[in-house]
Amino acid sequence: MLDEKKVKLMTRLAFYEQTQGKEDFKVSAYYRKDYASLHTICSIIWVTVGYICAVGLIFLAGMDNFLSSMSFGMMFLMLGILVLVYLFLLILYGVIASHIFNKKHRESRQRVKKYNHDLTRLLKLYEREKR
Amino acid sequence: MDNVYVLRERLQAIYGRHSKIFDKGLQFLLALVAFLLINQNVGFMKAASSPVITVALAVICTFLPLMATVVMATALLLAHMFSLSLGVFAVTAVVFLVMYCFFFRLAPKMAFLVLLTPIAFALKIPYLLPIVCGLAFAPSSLVATSCGTIVYYMMEYVKKTSTALEGSGAKGLMTQITKYAKQVFQSKEMWIVIIAFAISCFVVYSLRRQAVDHAWKIAIIAGAVVNVIVIAVGDIALGVHTSYGALIGGSLVAIVVGLILELFFFTVDYARSESLQFEDDEYYYYVKAIPKVSVSTPEKTVKRINERQETEIIDTEAVRKNAERKREKPVSKRTPKKGPGVKVQDMREVDKMLLTQSLRKDLNLDD
Repeated sequence: MLDEKKVKLMTRLAFYEQTQGKEDFKVSAYYRKDYASLHTICSIIWVTVGYICAVGLIFLAGMDNFLSSMSFGMMFLMLGILVLVYLFLLILYGVIASHIFNKKHRESRQRVKKYNHDLTRLLKLYEREKR
Repeated sequence: MDNVYVLRERLQAIYGRHSKIFDKGLQFLLALVAFLLINQNVGFMKAASSPVITVALAVICTFLPLMATVVMATALLLAHMFSLSLGVFAVTAVVFLVMYCFFFRLAPKMAFLVLLTPIAFALKIPYLLPIVCGLAFAPSSLVATSCGTIVYYMMEYVKKTSTALEGSGAKGLMTQITKYAKQVFQSKEMWIVIIAFAISCFVVYSLRRQAVDHAWKIAIIAGAVVNVIVIAVGDIALGVHTSYGALIGGSLVAIVVGLILELFFFTVDYARSESLQFEDDEYYYYVKAIPKVSVSTPEKTVKRINERQETEIIDTEAVRKNAERKREKPVSKRTPKKGPGVKVQDMREVDKMLLTQSLRKDLNLDD
């Protein structure tokens, strides 16, 4: 005999496992602080790579102008600006990445909690059936 | 207006019933148009630009997540650039890497906007983008739109100057890279469009969230007007020529599309809005509640007037047999149930009482 409650519960569980669950299980395997820190560090590394590439492209695009008006003072000024912009981007992306990944972990954890709760209910239904 | 709401409800119901088919169909269409656009503009690699390969790639992308379409389109574009020139390929690859590092790592779900932006440019409706982004997404979508704009202008430049960029050995490689990077990043038209889109998107986003009546309509119109003004001012200031007819026409199309979006995502009845004011220990609250418009779709019932009726064919033989059987065995008549009978003992008691009563009356014997 089919138990409607059990079928609904199992469908919900299977749907979650095959969609959001895949990523949520990976995310919730970490502590929130660890997860957010790891991804923030990764983001900072990627921003550094991206910044170097972007500066390289801008330099290539304006190479003629740079070379024609290049002096020691100008070079130091440029370097200073580049370092300042880099630090600004680093802080900005650090804050944004930390916020995004903290939120992502919190939401994943909540969904996994709900999934565990449903799983417990299903187990109880099975136990009741055995008796 | 009610008919429009009914139509909306019906469309939503149809989409709800076949959402999987619609989603996959749209994904296929998006992939196909994106690949066709790339092949048409920068199809330098003959093998990759054949229609069969394009359709096959689109079909494959239909069954993969949306992000796969973006990755496939990027790979196709890079393949074409590589077959044109190594320098162009290097610069394009670095541009995509920068986009990934700064944005798509944090918001991968917005990546499809990078596909949609060049498609909108190719269909001559780019002014739609800031309005749609401001209405349907957060302002962070602006970064994706800007990346898409850069991709479109890169393709445009390569398309126009492909013969000049072609070939040349290691000596000309550096010159190629410098020239291409300069053209891409010093394109005044591109920067004007990016800035105009950014301002317009912010205007739309901030106005549509205001607690004023018809906020969405005001936001759509204001966004389109701001877009036109910024582009026109930028063109005059930087000496760039943009077709004003296309600008105004595109903005009108953007307004119409914005109003259609409003119909689907934000239909409220301002006539029935209510303003409430209450307080607790710490705050005063001023709340404006606007009811949503909900129309129930009338259900059509089809009544068949000339419906064919089945005629019953009587089995005469069976009827005759039944009648004969009834005649042979008469049905016993049921008599209605009787209630409990009156006992003789009780009747005697009653007689005795009546007799004593009549005797008392006759003899005048009172108690």
